[in-house]
Amino acid sequence: MTESYAALNLVLDFCVIAILILGIWLFHWPHRAKFGNLTAAFALACAAGLVLYRNGTMYSNIILLSLVVGSGAGFWVAKRITMIQIPAMVAFQHGAGGVAAFLLSFAELIRGSQHLGMVNEISGLLGLAIGSLTFSGSMIAGGKLSNRLGQTPRILPRHTWLLMINLIGIIMLIIVSVVGLLESRIFLYILIIFMSVLFGVIFSIRIGGADMPVLISFLNATAGVAAAFCGMIIENKLLISCGATVAASGSILTHVMCKAMNRSLYRVFVPGQDISPKNKISSQDTTDTQIIAPKNNFQTALEYAREAKKVIIIPGYGMAVAQAQFAVIQLSNIMLDMGKDVKFAIHPVAGRMPGHMNVLLAEAGIDYDLLKEMDEINPDFSKTDLSLVIGACDVVNPAAIEVDGSPISGMPILHAHKSRHVVCCNLDDKPGYSGVKNPLYENENTILLLGNAKETIERLVETFPQVTPDMEEYSSLNQTDQKNPLELATATLLSAQKIIIVPGYGMALAQAQFKVVQLASMLESLGTDVKFAIHPVAGRMPGHMNVLLAEADVDYDKLYEMDEINPEFSQTDVVIVFGACDVVNPSAMDTPGTPISGMPILMAHDAKRILVCNFDANPGYSGVENTLYKDQKTIMLIGDAASTANNLIEAIKS
Amino acid sequence: MTNLLLMIGIFLFSFVVGYFLISRIPTLLHTPLMSMTNAISAVTILGVLILFSVASTRTEQIIGSIAFVMAAFNLVGGFAITDRMLRLFKKKETGGGAP
Repeated sequence: MTESYAALNLVLDFCVIAILILGIWLFHWPHRAKFGNLTAAFALACAAGLVLYRNGTMYSNIILLSLVVGSGAGFWVAKRITMIQIPAMVAFQHGAGGVAAFLLSFAELIRGSQHLGMVNEISGLLGLAIGSLTFSGSMIAGGKLSNRLGQTPRILPRHTWLLMINLIGIIMLIIVSVVGLLESRIFLYILIIFMSVLFGVIFSIRIGGADMPVLISFLNATAGVAAAFCGMIIENKLLISCGATVAASGSILTHVMCKAMNRSLYRVFVPGQDISPKNKISSQDTTDTQIIAPKNNFQTALEYAREAKKVIIIPGYGMAVAQAQFAVIQLSNIMLDMGKDVKFAIHPVAGRMPGHMNVLLAEAGIDYDLLKEMDEINPDFSKTDLSLVIGACDVVNPAAIEVDGSPISGMPILHAHKSRHVVCCNLDDKPGYSGVKNPLYENENTILLLGNAKETIERLVETFPQVTPDMEEYSSLNQTDQKNPLELATATLLSAQKIIIVPGYGMALAQAQFKVVQLASMLESLGTDVKFAIHPVAGRMPGHMNVLLAEADVDYDKLYEMDEINPEFSQTDVVIVFGACDVVNPSAMDTPGTPISGMPILMAHDAKRILVCNFDANPGYSGVENTLYKDQKTIMLIGDAASTANNLIEAIKS
Repeated sequence: MTNLLLMIGIFLFSFVVGYFLISRIPTLLHTPLMSMTNAISAVTILGVLILFSVASTRTEQIIGSIAFVMAAFNLVGGFAITDRMLRLFKKKETGGGAP
């Protein structure tokens, strides 16, 4: 009876582990990862259920209260955090895991000090030590990542010695506890916790900003090891297994990060004091000569960007610091809309944690098919017209390949120097974290756009579309047959009683919101009823249009959500579309099989008249021809939305 | 002794399986992966549940409840933030205005 019961229990444990493994396995595909995450969460819930069922509980009130407090806080923080804070958040979470591990070990040790087996006791002591150092190490890492602590490595005198003495002290204390020389064990345990916390602090403070991906992955592994040791004290297979899986994951990430920086784990954790100062000197020598390199050649850069057919964008930590990811995506979307081939090259250690750049770009709404790993994209650089470097230095430093004996020699890099032109949007031309000067900056085909990356990219975005050949064509077209549509449009507007304005991303690009709002208030002063219809996906982020119109001082009572305003279109005299296409494309409703079929749209086509103030008559992002443009009720005012709005204002005035 | 061997066996088995499983996960998902495994490391919550399954002293209860709060924070926060992050990864935008 008991044997079959034990066998059943073993099977159940393995089932839970299998579900957990399935969850991790689903991470092989980006579109299944979300389900994988939920699967893993489900596995842990099952495990908790199993433990409760088998052992029961004496203190359900304490458990319930702690559960509500802990998970409530966790959930609240997770919902409120912004994406730029993710690295710090992950570090603090590691810390919380470390606290839980060492407190659990502590409680088990003081409870079972009389009857614990040798193995369990050693596991408990190791859990105590590793949990504590994970906690303090993560707190330091989190502090650095959230900029509460300085990013530079802080090196104490005889740093390595301090660490060694500290480590030996911890080991001695563990031995003393096991042998049982001292009566008061609790005192020993507290001393171990204290020493380990100190160890974590000394260990982490000398690791600098750009080595954070390694540290944070390493702490991920130690958190797993601590959990596994906790499992060994109480001989729980689920704990051991989950801990080991996390340890494996952390080790892989640590290994990948180290390899990508071409540094051994030892070199990251024990930065050679003889190496860094030398390089700092050599970097100071070179900054003087680098000033000769062309600076702020904005026009040339713009021309390169316009001419280029194949573009690779290389983001680095500088992009994260400047919060430039949204502007970068805006720029890449403009380029994509012009038919250019745009890709993103992601170096494994770009940023402050594994996959940092991917998260930031995903936040800004990138299609993840455009994100390419280093090995995949490196052969493409020689066929590329333009490499756009945004806040990255060491990962594109050709010295890693060309010069022997520098700290980055042999580190794998992105071969940006092989492309026809390189534009660097970096804050300065100083060497990166490694301290090795970047010869790429001095290349003939390189243009440096120094300064805040976000401002640089925004400037590119603003100037990019306005003088392109396409645009000139359209504006000349515009001028020849502009008179009739504009007059017609003005007449319609003046006779209208009820007007709905539909803004889209084009309005944002043309920065036309102020003119649009001016037009709206002008029409209102003539006694017309004006409303704004906001499609949920208009623009490039949730609520994008609302923000822009709020900036231009629109009363938010006038901003209507799609479902609210859709019934009103049929009673509306004129709909004015500013830079929106897909969100008013009737094909979404009446043509099956297109990429937008079934997408909810604003029913602009139900109105008596439609004015379309778009940049061109091409399809929008979806690539589906907009049948609204060919409707007889529609008046097309092609061109820059801001100047169209201005023309309308002038025409109404006169 | 058999217990020790079993435990070491489970550790090695999970480590190796985990290693092979995770080493081929695309770098695209490294941050969510780390964030999720971070949540999994809060499995220590099971240990606290076991701690509370038998009568314990006041000290143990206090330590245990702090450990429980921390583990629950790590667990729920970790999975929630991973979920939020993964929602950001989209293949294509579902529309949007066109200039």
